[in-house]
Amino acid sequence: MNSRVTVKGVVLVAFVLLHAPLTWAVERAEVEETARLLAKLLESGRAVIERNQPLIDDPHKGDKGLTPELFEAELVREFRAKSGIDLSALPTAPVSVVLPPLAKELLPALVQASREVVRDAQVVINQRGIGYKNFIPATWGSQASARFSKSAHIRLKQTALDARNPKNEPDEYEASVLRWLAARPRAEAYVSELTEEGQTLRVVMPIYYAKDCLACHGEPRGVLDISGYPREGHKEGDLAGAITVTAPLSNR
Amino acid sequence: MALLSLLLPGCGLLIDAVEQVWPVTGNRVDMICERERVQVGLTMEPFRPFVFPTIWTDEGARVTGLDVELIKAMTEELSHRCGRPITPVLHLVRFRDLFRLLNEGHLDWFVSAVATNTPAPSRAGVAYSLPYFYGGGISGITRSSAVIDRVQANVREQTLHPAADRLAATSHALDGLTIAVQGDTSAYYYAQANVSADRLLVCDSLPAAFEHADAQTEPRIDVILGAQPVLEYMVKRVRRDWTPLTRDTGLPLFLTKADYGVVVAEDSYRLRWLLNDLLLKLDESGRLREMRARWLDEDYAFPRRASLEGLPFDVEKMAAHYIQGTCRLNPLQ
Repeated sequence: MNSRVTVKGVVLVAFVLLHAPLTWAVERAEVEETARLLAKLLESGRAVIERNQPLIDDPHKGDKGLTPELFEAELVREFRAKSGIDLSALPTAPVSVVLPPLAKELLPALVQASREVVRDAQVVINQRGIGYKNFIPATWGSQASARFSKSAHIRLKQTALDARNPKNEPDEYEASVLRWLAARPRAEAYVSELTEEGQTLRVVMPIYYAKDCLACHGEPRGVLDISGYPREGHKEGDLAGAITVTAPLSNR
Repeated sequence: MALLSLLLPGCGLLIDAVEQVWPVTGNRVDMICERERVQVGLTMEPFRPFVFPTIWTDEGARVTGLDVELIKAMTEELSHRCGRPITPVLHLVRFRDLFRLLNEGHLDWFVSAVATNTPAPSRAGVAYSLPYFYGGGISGITRSSAVIDRVQANVREQTLHPAADRLAATSHALDGLTIAVQGDTSAYYYAQANVSADRLLVCDSLPAAFEHADAQTEPRIDVILGAQPVLEYMVKRVRRDWTPLTRDTGLPLFLTKADYGVVVAEDSYRLRWLLNDLLLKLDESGRLREMRARWLDEDYAFPRRASLEGLPFDVEKMAAHYIQGTCRLNPLQ
């Protein structure tokens, strides 16, 4: 496990291009960069929901104005800030190492899935007189990744060692990476590995607890939070979980 | 032509006679089995712990509560009877619209802590199953200890007259107070019939009544009347700043008692027999008792239960979204 490769996108792409057979290296680099961008996009959506949380949970306001259109605009802005890629200019953007063709195809699909979740949640979000509605980054992310994964050949997932939702339980590989990450200090890095004899690429992008998360996941440990789950007793900066991407390499 | 015009009214009579023997709607059970879906109505105004506010989960929008668990249990039983899986299609609509939708045939049945014994003309045309919840009724809550004292004094005064009827005694318990009720509920019909109406505020929902009281809007609410189990849940878990009205003995002051049943169209005879049978089975197996304990006595947070066991609902069949509404003085006055 100590030999696990922790990388930062472009560095790996260059490394791989120099040391591996060309077609395999190109495919892996393309899929890996796409996976990284998909994880970043999901992370951006979570950030948008988190930023709008006080509005979503405002019991005095009916129509919150957080329409799918507005959400998408904020998502595009957030993603641009995180990745430097402008999704609104995607159709005309040239493919490159930074924006592989696969990413050009799949990023709009994830935007679409993300937007649909916000559309379907309008009946919940716009309730007046109800404060907490459980429309939070995690529940938004679960639905967005599930919808995206249904229509794409790449699987996107949120997972954690102590996942509240049984469907988000990590598989063996994810659990091993999460344990490895938990033992290390916070870093803006991700893990990328080939599994199943090189047939599948796994990318794991860690998520760390921010201050706002601790109302539900912090102290006092064991005491139920607003949604009825026992608090985990985490601290700011602890590993919260990860966004994982599973992509087949040979079936494309 | 003249002969035909003479015969046509007779045809009407003949059809009426056939329907008496074999009502068209009597086939609703077969229809449910055939379409493998049962159309169930549920109030979109929260009646905790019977119906909680809709909430988002990892699986999408869900609704939960005692009534939702009942729907699931009944649908399971129904699936056995039909010999194939039956899916409940939930229509989350305003409470007042449930009756209309049932009468128009859009629903097979509905539940929402509906009292089976509310004397009101608007409840005509519907029928009730066996009760699934016993010992409910109408009571009140307040934030003022002075109001409690006043109510208890009123009740004491009335009970000094042994000849006075109980209804008058409990009705006078609220003399001189401003009462809020949710429109079209049993509490509303009780208040309309028995409480001095110039002090009656009709609210679109229970949360609207709380909001009106919190904002200290005039006329100020002294007492919110409603279904006792709902109010008890609210003051124990959500609005601890409110207190139930009690008698001197400390027991809850019930203005009237009620059992809650499943509501069906009056002429859905076969369906009603079936529902009664399903409920009897749930009662005898202890399941109804378990449900009651789970939702009324246990410590839980509803979002978690919604995530684990809540039911999805048909967004198309839901009003745009729940608006808790406002309160206004009884428009009939």
